[in-house]
Amino acid sequence: MSFAFRLMFRDIRSGDLLTLLLALVISVSTVTSIGLFIDRLQLSFEQESANLLAADRLIRSDDIIPAEWEAQANELSLQTAQRTSFTTMMFAGDSLQLSQLSAVSDGYPLKGAYLVDDVLFGAGQRSTETPKQGEVWVSSRLASLLKISLGDQVEVGDAKLKVTKYLVRDPGSSTSAFAISPRAVMNMADLAATNVIIPGSRVRYSLLLAGDRASLDEYENWITPQLNEDQRWQTPTQRGERIGDTIGRAESFLLLAGTLAVVMSGVAMALASARFVKRHLMQVAILKTLGATPKLLGKLFFLQLFALFIVGAMIGLGIGWGMQEIIASLLSGLMSTTLPEPSISRLWLGAATGMISMVVFCLPLMSHLIKISPLSVLQPNTKIELNSFAIYAIGFIGMFGLMCLYTNGFLLPSIMTAAILGIALFVAAIGWLAFKLGRSLTSGATSGWQIGLASLYRRLIPNLFQLLVFTLIIMLTLILIGVKSSLIADWQQQLPEDAPNHYLFNVQDEQIEQINDQTTQLGLKKSDWYPMVRGRVTAVNDETVQSLYPEEKGEPELYERELNLTWSDTLGKGNELVEGDFTAEGLSIEQRVAKEANLDIGDKLTINIGGNIVTLPITSVRTVDWGSMQPNFYLILPKSALEDYPANFVSSLFVDDAQAQSFYRAMATFPTVSILNVGDILKQIQTIIGQLSQAIQLVLFCILSAGALVLLASVRSTLEERLEEGALLRVLGARGALVRQALLVEFGALGFFAGLIATIGAETCLLGLQVFVFNAEASFHPLLWLLGPAIGVVVISTIGIFASRTVLKVPPMLLLRGL
Amino acid sequence: MARNTAIKVSNLTHTVTSNTGNLTILKGINMEIKESESVAIVGSSGSGKSTLLGLLAGLDVNTSGDIFLYDQEFSSPSEEQRALVRGQYVGFVFQSFHLLPSLQAIENVMLPAELKGDKDARKKAEALLEKVGLSHRLTHYPNQLSGGEQQRVAIARAFASNPKILFADEPTGNLDEENGKLIIKLLFDLNQSQGTTLVMVTHDNELAKMCDRQLVMSAGQLTEKSL
Repeated sequence: MSFAFRLMFRDIRSGDLLTLLLALVISVSTVTSIGLFIDRLQLSFEQESANLLAADRLIRSDDIIPAEWEAQANELSLQTAQRTSFTTMMFAGDSLQLSQLSAVSDGYPLKGAYLVDDVLFGAGQRSTETPKQGEVWVSSRLASLLKISLGDQVEVGDAKLKVTKYLVRDPGSSTSAFAISPRAVMNMADLAATNVIIPGSRVRYSLLLAGDRASLDEYENWITPQLNEDQRWQTPTQRGERIGDTIGRAESFLLLAGTLAVVMSGVAMALASARFVKRHLMQVAILKTLGATPKLLGKLFFLQLFALFIVGAMIGLGIGWGMQEIIASLLSGLMSTTLPEPSISRLWLGAATGMISMVVFCLPLMSHLIKISPLSVLQPNTKIELNSFAIYAIGFIGMFGLMCLYTNGFLLPSIMTAAILGIALFVAAIGWLAFKLGRSLTSGATSGWQIGLASLYRRLIPNLFQLLVFTLIIMLTLILIGVKSSLIADWQQQLPEDAPNHYLFNVQDEQIEQINDQTTQLGLKKSDWYPMVRGRVTAVNDETVQSLYPEEKGEPELYERELNLTWSDTLGKGNELVEGDFTAEGLSIEQRVAKEANLDIGDKLTINIGGNIVTLPITSVRTVDWGSMQPNFYLILPKSALEDYPANFVSSLFVDDAQAQSFYRAMATFPTVSILNVGDILKQIQTIIGQLSQAIQLVLFCILSAGALVLLASVRSTLEERLEEGALLRVLGARGALVRQALLVEFGALGFFAGLIATIGAETCLLGLQVFVFNAEASFHPLLWLLGPAIGVVVISTIGIFASRTVLKVPPMLLLRGL
Repeated sequence: MARNTAIKVSNLTHTVTSNTGNLTILKGINMEIKESESVAIVGSSGSGKSTLLGLLAGLDVNTSGDIFLYDQEFSSPSEEQRALVRGQYVGFVFQSFHLLPSLQAIENVMLPAELKGDKDARKKAEALLEKVGLSHRLTHYPNQLSGGEQQRVAIARAFASNPKILFADEPTGNLDEENGKLIIKLLFDLNQSQGTTLVMVTHDNELAKMCDRQLVMSAGQLTEKSL
């Protein structure tokens, strides 16, 4: 055994083992860092969402929650709390106000905290306590409407409660509208005394749960069959879906990047192994003549590979851990909480990648090596057949398996594999044509151009293979750059800095002018007012929705619920006409819902608006930019159709932090107007996007390093032949400049073609990825067409010249002797 | 006292398959080589000398016939067993030296002893390198040594496992006259001092004449050349 290690340490000096080790380290560290980082991101997202839910899981019910449900949760060591929410009239002196009231048990919230303040319209401080028995916390708006302040008493049904805090935010409310809604929270112990909940009251009961995942899962399995249709099991991720979407895309990107890193490291490992095997052919034959048995050699190489794996995996895992720490620290401040520590158990993914890479890329080659006949020592030209189908097949299956393991699915690996295969065929065809053309254009060996172009054709197979590797690496790089920039641009476009963050609902016609005055005074930018009525689609082309979907299952969204409808003669901001005429006397429909409901121009919809039936044909189809945060509608009716209906108005506006309190004060004078504040969520998303973008840049950098390594390994794999040729040319009297020029031409041409083909491939793949994986719109990337060939020529010539610099420096005699 | 038989070959035939059909390289060879004898196998290029050497050393498997090394059947067993026998009885010197380029001179010489698990490998290797006059080149890599020096390292390596039989394939083929002579002297000195059987393939008549016997390989047949 120690002999195996001695031999290995001696081998390390030759550099081949180091290349193998480096490939392994890069593979393990990239996979580890990305895997760990995604894990932290998911944990953090879940944690943050749990704060929004006030619990890890929640059961929502329209009926009283059976006591045994809570008992069962406690038996599983889960923490529990209860919340009962209802709408009731609150009284204070002569004032009365319809309010949203929650009664909460002690221990609420299980996750997150209340924001409360002692000052009206204050910003709030965290509090994990609940109102004590006999106390109530009211929102500033409610306090203004009831004309009360701290210490005053309010009446809720038969109970009198003392106001002790102004409520800014309830962790259990899905939006941050709390501060400005007439809301209040009281202790559960006072609920019975109020006598407000009587049979028939509209009450929402919630049982909140928190605890470890296994118990929660066990509880979910137990409870799910018992839930009726008025009861819901809620998880944190169901809330805050927008953040989920953003993080989801970032995850897709990171997964894609990680998969590409796996592919590149795999190629680097395969190349390094092939070179290792080639250089060790004679060593094995000689060792055999010296009496080394195949068994001993098998053990020797297995031990070497195993030691290499242990060392590589340890270094890789260490670097991977460090790298994700760096990524995480770049993202510090993300989601207002510190990122949770990654689970150590996730390290297995990196270690498994290293192990599988070694097994599929190194072992088959090594087993070939051990089989070499000792007779090779007498036949110096023996070459081992490394191009066997089995080796490629094992490598290919291994790589595919790794990608599947990594992405936990088949779609992405399948798209990528198909693309790689397609590219391989394309490269072979184009490369063969181009090299042949280059050869026929030149004859003789008087200039570097002639020698360089001639070499391309002479070493056709290795050059085509190298062209393929270069193409793949450049293509992967371009794909990442393309995905990265379109992803980030898409996000930023989705959420401009001054995107509206407040919605105003239920505004009456006569209030519009006063509100306009207020907002103008405050200098706030507001969208137009849209009239809004609610209506339900009841029939399509005179067939009722009930007859179309008798089971009420699989209904398109358009028919599922009451819709907000508006009417307008002009196309609003963020709307784009796709088909038809917007000004015609008919309906304008949003493209996605039209597609889902299989509707087209000319189809007739019947809509019930407060008992009045309107039937109109579809006359135009629009796309809507939902990210613009403007009020948007699935269906827009012509002005004439709804002009006489009594409508509420809706608008959206951007309010920055400095103006928020004065805006809320001003709006407190319009008690019937509902204000929805989505600003906190938007801000959170914007922070996440900004920081995820940084993380993505870092990951991109890691992948590019892996790419550079593969290029280097690939150039090294044909180095011997180039060295020999360079030495011979110089022995025959060629000047160094000629040899250099020939090498430049050869590598430059390889780089150019690789870059060009890569660009074509990348553009095609980006199209597929954008449409199928990221669910974004397809777009063209002119920058790539410039970058691709440029990267190809510059990077490959540089690496090529760097790797074969010995051709130019070392005296030819020494080279020839060493060969 | 009668010397033991080191190598015994009977009816040795070797056929290879090429794209033009089967080609019989060795046609029913019979021979015997005694312990510590020196034998030269001569013949024109392509006559089958190296093939015979390869088979005798167990580097390849013959098509038919038998080979015995010290009465041990050597032609049929598995590669595994042949390697063990090689490690026990056989040493090699090649025309193109075949030193491992990633190992220093001393490490190359240590290899056979290390393969056997010999703890004194380094000491023995140093002594052998001293014997071939390279004690000042211990830590040099093969590409830092001249051809003659490389072959001397190879000879030191060949004798490192105390082989009973030394096979040499054109040992002076890549060397100039002066270095060639030095190598020949070393080979024969060691052959005599250690009682090793020496089987050598060579084109060099001078070298062949120095051996106890000369066998001529011609068209796959082996004949004894009368001295």
